[in-house]
Amino acid sequence: MVNRRQFLRVTAGGAASVVMAGGVPATAQTRELTFLTIASFVPETDKELKRQFEEWGAKNKVKVRLDIIAHLQLVTKKASEVQARSGHDLTALGPGLGDADLYFDHLVDLNDVAADVAPKNGGWMNPNDYLIRGKWKLLPWWMPPFPMAVRTDLLEQIGEKNPDTWEDWLRIGKKGKAIGHPFGTALGHSGDANVTLLSIMWSYGASYVAKDGKTVAINSKETRQAMEFVKRLYTEAMDPEVLAWDDASNNRCLNAGKCIAIHNPISAFESAKRDKVVIPGTQREIAEVIDHVNTPRGPVDRRTTTGYWCVGIWNFAKNVDLAKDFLRYHFQPENQAKWVDAGHGFNMPFLTNLTKHPVYKSDKQYRFIPEVAKVTVPPSWPGPTTASSQQVLDLYILPDMFAQYATGKMTVDQAIAWAEKEMQEIFAGRKRKF
Amino acid sequence: MTAARAFAVVGFVAFALVVLVPFWWIANMSFKTYEQVQFATSIYVPRPFTWANYTALWLDTRFPLWLRNSLVTAVAVTALTTVMASLGGYAIARLRFPGREVVASLILVLYLVPPALLFIPLYRVLAELGATNTLASLILSYPTFTVPFCTWLLIGFFKALPHELEEAALVDGATRTAALVRVLLPLAAPGIVASAIFAFTLSWNEFLYSLVFVSPAELKTMTVGVFSELIRGDIYYWGGLMAGACIGSLPIVVAYVFFLDYYVSGLTAGAVK
Repeated sequence: MVNRRQFLRVTAGGAASVVMAGGVPATAQTRELTFLTIASFVPETDKELKRQFEEWGAKNKVKVRLDIIAHLQLVTKKASEVQARSGHDLTALGPGLGDADLYFDHLVDLNDVAADVAPKNGGWMNPNDYLIRGKWKLLPWWMPPFPMAVRTDLLEQIGEKNPDTWEDWLRIGKKGKAIGHPFGTALGHSGDANVTLLSIMWSYGASYVAKDGKTVAINSKETRQAMEFVKRLYTEAMDPEVLAWDDASNNRCLNAGKCIAIHNPISAFESAKRDKVVIPGTQREIAEVIDHVNTPRGPVDRRTTTGYWCVGIWNFAKNVDLAKDFLRYHFQPENQAKWVDAGHGFNMPFLTNLTKHPVYKSDKQYRFIPEVAKVTVPPSWPGPTTASSQQVLDLYILPDMFAQYATGKMTVDQAIAWAEKEMQEIFAGRKRKF
Repeated sequence: MTAARAFAVVGFVAFALVVLVPFWWIANMSFKTYEQVQFATSIYVPRPFTWANYTALWLDTRFPLWLRNSLVTAVAVTALTTVMASLGGYAIARLRFPGREVVASLILVLYLVPPALLFIPLYRVLAELGATNTLASLILSYPTFTVPFCTWLLIGFFKALPHELEEAALVDGATRTAALVRVLLPLAAPGIVASAIFAFTLSWNEFLYSLVFVSPAELKTMTVGVFSELIRGDIYYWGGLMAGACIGSLPIVVAYVFFLDYYVSGLTAGAVK
């Protein structure tokens, strides 16, 4: 008969062996560098990154592990790794620079790596934009610039050409909607909605945070003008379904042959080309009649934003020096060039020389991408990126504000007052530092 | 047809629609081509019908590996849960010890704590133990939600069994363990099967812990693997996602169909005849 002590000894030993099975940290025996990143929108990019990571590992006799997850999962993974102070060495950060402020105390300073990388690549495009509290807490890695994707056959059909301003797109959207091909931009909870609405706000001279990065600036006559424009765009040129759109919806609308134009990175075009999608009712590939033109300008400015995908090193990483070494390797001009090539130009680095990469001349579709990159700024522009400014985007306050007015549920003053209150609470809450 | 019968038929049809339409929709999409999904053509029946999503899922991703990981984890968790919940349920239902009622209530409270509150502390514990990035981390953590629920379920089953049967065994010279193993557990089999099915289902469908505790692609479970591989930014591979959902739901369907008869017949067999 097994007594209670024997039982406890056996079960405790068994449990411990289960826990330890395969769980002995590899670092005890070999050097291992781990990297958590997101599944690229263009899968070949992941393959090229893996190739470079393994090549670097072989050269330096370091075991490497690249873990790829969907971008929607990254927030949860980051939060748990930081709280446990355990996880990967290198991590993708984003889709904004706000992570660097939010996790400021958990990220290694990368001033030295940023300084090494810049001269070899013609410098960073807008270095001051990437500094958080005056430091390089991350390296800006890649962005998908936001041009306007348009159906050229439909444009011809309605007698339009060379659209350049938001007013042009409103007119085109109205004509398109009349023949069953509306303009399409999300007004729901999606990253695309944040980007397009910010583009419109800036084009009218509005912004949601002032240059000091602390003052909420949403309550302005410029915001009111932008909201009047979006109301017209929604009621005259779009279908109500845009209120429920996610990030995939506008791609689907364009590739399904419905939308005349969308404000989006080139992912819709890339997937249409790869899958040989045809225009409904014809044998003609839709990719042949899609073109990309510059992000529109407004009465005041031409500016847009996008997902700022970045890379950082946790300060609880086991191999900080190795991680920095890999970053220097990955950011070598030839490796960056191969990586951009693999991404078909979708993943534009924040390095000046890479805006001249041959891929942008390889297809007329890509000709405006470097132009869009030049007018791309962080979402908090003209203020610096902070965790608060990022939270405003994460809570989709701007799309809600625009949608409330566009659908007539609130007056323009009510919608702005609501958004202002929400934003002020966020900025005040961050100041309190719970 | 009487009004009552007509009402019953309408009710049954409505119920069947609510239950079956989502499954049908998933299966329907999994057999559609990219164009059919994209252009919303052949909405109700795929024309043409294609296996392409299934073959792509099976051959172009690590789906078979993810399926195996899910199976290993769910079976191990179900076994662990069944043993622990049976013993726990029996102890609370049949043994007299101080605080018994409090323990029973605490078990329910434990089950009510949302996993979303627990994943960070649990990850920290597992990281301290060096157990992250192993299937063992899932096998050890899933019982935190399966055991309380199944124990609670089994308390009810054990309470419903007549005391006389166990007492008769004890009077005949059986030890308490022998009475449990030879008399009570066979009688509680329907409840144990039901709790095992619940444990399997909860483990099989679990997403959050699997996402957080395990990173390498070769160790992902099906739920996380499919999501990671088939959603790329603003591009959703709907056909593959639906094919994954269909294959993923099969073991659960089989488990329920296979054990349902046993469960029902066991429940009605009665122990006091």
